[in-house]
Amino acid sequence: MADTITEQQPVLLASDHVTHLFPMPNGNMMTVLEDITMDIRKGEIICIIGPSGCGKSTFLRILAGLIRPTKGKVLSRGSEMSGLTPGVAMVFQMFALFPWMTVSENIQSVLVSQHLPEGEVQRRVNSVIKMVGLEGFEEAYPREISGGMKQRVGIARALAVQPELLFMDEPFSAIDALTAESLRADVVDIWEEAEGQPASILMVSHDIKEVVYMADRIVIFSANPGRIRAVVPNNLPRPRDYRGADFLAMVDYLHDIITTNELPDVPPAVVSTPSQPVYEPLPPASSSDVVSFVEYLDSHGGQGDVFVLAHEFGKEFSELINIVKAAEMLGFIETPKQRTILTPLGRRFANMDTEEQKIVWKQQILTLNVFKTLYADVQASRNGIMLDDEVQERLAQLLPNENPEFTFQTLINWARFGNLLAFDEDSDEVTLQ
Amino acid sequence: MAQQEEELIRTDPRGSPPRRKRPAALPIWGESSAVMALYHSGVLADIAITLGILGFFYGLTQVSQEWAGILRPTVVIDLSLGSLPRYTFFSLIRGLAAYGVSLGFTIVYGYWAAKDKLAEKLLVPILDILQSIPVLGFMPGLVLALVSLFPSSNVGLELASILMIFTGQAWNMTFSFYNSLKSVPQYLQEAGTVYHFSWWQRLTQIEMPYSAVGLIWNSMMSMAGGWFFLMVTETFQLGNRDFRLPGIGSYMSVAVERGDTKAMIGAVVAMILMIVALDQLLWRPIVVWAQKFRIEDTTQEEVMESWFLDLLRHSHILRWLGTIGASIRRSLHRSPVQSSQVPAAAVTSTSSSDSPARTANRPVAGILVSRLGFVLLAAGLAVALVQVVRLLASVSAAEWVRLVQSDLLTLARVTAAILLGTLWTVPLGIRIGLSPRLSRIMQPVVQVAASFPAPMLFPAVILILTSLNIAIGVGSIILMLLGTQWYILFNVIAGAQAIPSDLKEAAANYHFTPRQRFWSLYIPAVFPYLVTGWVTAAGGAWNASIVAETVTFRGSTLTARGIGAVISQAAFNARFGELSGAILIMALTVVLINRFVWRPLYALASTRYNLSK
Repeated sequence: MADTITEQQPVLLASDHVTHLFPMPNGNMMTVLEDITMDIRKGEIICIIGPSGCGKSTFLRILAGLIRPTKGKVLSRGSEMSGLTPGVAMVFQMFALFPWMTVSENIQSVLVSQHLPEGEVQRRVNSVIKMVGLEGFEEAYPREISGGMKQRVGIARALAVQPELLFMDEPFSAIDALTAESLRADVVDIWEEAEGQPASILMVSHDIKEVVYMADRIVIFSANPGRIRAVVPNNLPRPRDYRGADFLAMVDYLHDIITTNELPDVPPAVVSTPSQPVYEPLPPASSSDVVSFVEYLDSHGGQGDVFVLAHEFGKEFSELINIVKAAEMLGFIETPKQRTILTPLGRRFANMDTEEQKIVWKQQILTLNVFKTLYADVQASRNGIMLDDEVQERLAQLLPNENPEFTFQTLINWARFGNLLAFDEDSDEVTLQ
Repeated sequence: MAQQEEELIRTDPRGSPPRRKRPAALPIWGESSAVMALYHSGVLADIAITLGILGFFYGLTQVSQEWAGILRPTVVIDLSLGSLPRYTFFSLIRGLAAYGVSLGFTIVYGYWAAKDKLAEKLLVPILDILQSIPVLGFMPGLVLALVSLFPSSNVGLELASILMIFTGQAWNMTFSFYNSLKSVPQYLQEAGTVYHFSWWQRLTQIEMPYSAVGLIWNSMMSMAGGWFFLMVTETFQLGNRDFRLPGIGSYMSVAVERGDTKAMIGAVVAMILMIVALDQLLWRPIVVWAQKFRIEDTTQEEVMESWFLDLLRHSHILRWLGTIGASIRRSLHRSPVQSSQVPAAAVTSTSSSDSPARTANRPVAGILVSRLGFVLLAAGLAVALVQVVRLLASVSAAEWVRLVQSDLLTLARVTAAILLGTLWTVPLGIRIGLSPRLSRIMQPVVQVAASFPAPMLFPAVILILTSLNIAIGVGSIILMLLGTQWYILFNVIAGAQAIPSDLKEAAANYHFTPRQRFWSLYIPAVFPYLVTGWVTAAGGAWNASIVAETVTFRGSTLTARGIGAVISQAAFNARFGELSGAILIMALTVVLINRFVWRPLYALASTRYNLSK
């Protein structure tokens, strides 16, 4: 199966310029997905990877027919469809098993709509239970079995309907790492022996190693708005070795692509002028995390590799990216390729005491147009007080693609640390410090 | 089918964000900016508060006039719509006064039970029993007794009314407070001990804030339950004696007697307005204010807002009162420190403001008071128990048999009422709960309907039943259903709202038929909530049987065969032996059903049907 040149295989499912908008509380529309065009061919495993909030789970549901996209089409074998996509079975991140049914009842429940003769139902249930290795657990309730076993039931349930396409939504993220590894291997084995049921697998993930292990093609999404950044073919022969040289090279290659997208060396060619200021979105990182990060770098040689650091902190990669972006925006670090290096300012900052750090922080955030503008607004308002709703309205104007609530939280967090603004949650008032 | 799929759209990952409150006052908004300026300057708020206070005091003078008024043989009600506000205010005052008594009782009783292990052994079972006994059974006796105490004025009747309402409000508030006190997290209590909190400081700064949220929600529910009892006392008539008090309930009752439809509609509207006003002007602001006491969960629930609270926050009067309060508090805190000037000799042994000797004395005094109270309570109970046993002994065997038969009949009625209620509320509740839009619209409506006291509608419903020639034996089922079906409905709505979206997606993805969806997903998922609804509704139905199985209509009494009727009649005819026997039987039935029906169902709900794995 893995040797087949998939470009020559028929396209089972495709999305054609799919765009999805989501209404935000202030009335604006947030673009969750923008112009996604991709296809799923017969006989391949495709993985979608991207930071959280990039709309990959939404996209999965659009392809499955659970959500109708605002714009664009979903084509099943070339013809446009609306409603549930035929031949798709989904495995969920939180398993989605019915707690009041036993393992076999859960599997039986999805066969009702197939209208099979009685004997066939039982045969299929037994066969998929065997496939996922859950023999003996037929009468168990979901609360009695572990997370890994629950997901096996989820997979068995999906296989029972003999789908052409198996969709998986971050299926291993709620399971411990060891069990996840064995499950991944089992899924690939099942697919290889499956004879077309399923023919192809579409999986959403945020784990780079998992994706390199499983996928024939890797689709990299970026966030705000969700777009396809790159599609990387993965021709490593199976079975794949997590520590093999070619495996690690592929992981490195992906790291490279992701950092180039998320932390560009050459900033986008937009010039900011006083009359037409450009407003940069605020990465959702707390001030204490940024300060800790800068101090950490200083005590560890002044530089580091982004992915290694993520691993050391035990933080998910996309969370660390936000901290790195924030530190870069404020001028404390530089980010050539995958490395982060302290600037001279950053080095001095790391060695100051808290009082001085707040002064420098304040000075740095005021170099950002968002803070400059909002600070001026609060100063100019009646009694020097603005309400949180008013600030969020303003943020919605300045940053139309961002969720104003989340931006507000980051704004207040940074402004409080720098003694720039104060916020009273009880009275909803934003004032000068 | 497609519409249902539409509704599976994932919402914002943080859950539903707060509603927009008001437009931002940006300078481009000309005229509205002037209004906003007025609003923000607090002038509107001050005007509203002043008017409110003046109105309230005027109302209080009316109330005191009525209390001091002469006791009349029959209630005098002016059916003009113009006098409705006055009657509404009377009812409101009774409800609020009873709530005040309930709150006081709750705090004292709950605190005592939580703090004193010995007293707890007695107090908690008493509370349990009080919750199961249909206290309405004592109403006729209570009314008669109090009226004879105050033969010439209305005070007796009013007191009886307030006491009855209290019995409808107090029990679950007390339980909630008691439970909150017992579950204050260890680390908070330890912090209090380490920093030498006095018992008062502990109560006001740790225990009450921790219990605040539960207490407030239970207060809201109790207030709603209290309307039921208020209406019962206001419309209370037995045979040819008229114990009705001027208020909305009696207004409605008289309106039905005279067939004045306009007045009936007016009364219903007034009641609804009172419920809504109380919710918006009292409960919501308190709930929103109390949000600062919430212990953060990982799941953030919808942030509630109150326009009235925002209005109040802008007021100057309140701000001024607040600063006065703060300075009073400051001067209070200063004196203990000054008075406990530690003598030079003790300086070496302690550095806290409370010297060891004082902290040692405090608990001793507390324990003394508590022990004394316990002894008195136990003595009182013993006396009461002896009396009750003597009364029960006076009941003959034949009478016991009759009592059990009546009890079984009432049981059949309660079951029928629950079944009927479930039949229509479950499909409707699921439909509403699954649609966020419908829920938003319907939930306040259902809340008002649940708070609306059914006894107020009894006169009208009985009129309809008699004109259709439906015997009271069956009609009482309808009456019982009227008040209690709403509990089932709003629990089912809550249950349907709580169905996890990934289960709904799985059902859609795997092409579940509508029938399969209903029986394999919706019903099992709402089952735990349904059980809660059943328990509450059944409790309400048993209570209601006392006023539903025997009703006074146009001077004559219609009585069904049932334990509720027995209780009512026995109380009125002062046959205390029969009364005690009947109450005992009813309480026993409720307890047995609790043990053999509800408890197993709850166990099932928390294992097999538990959605939190």
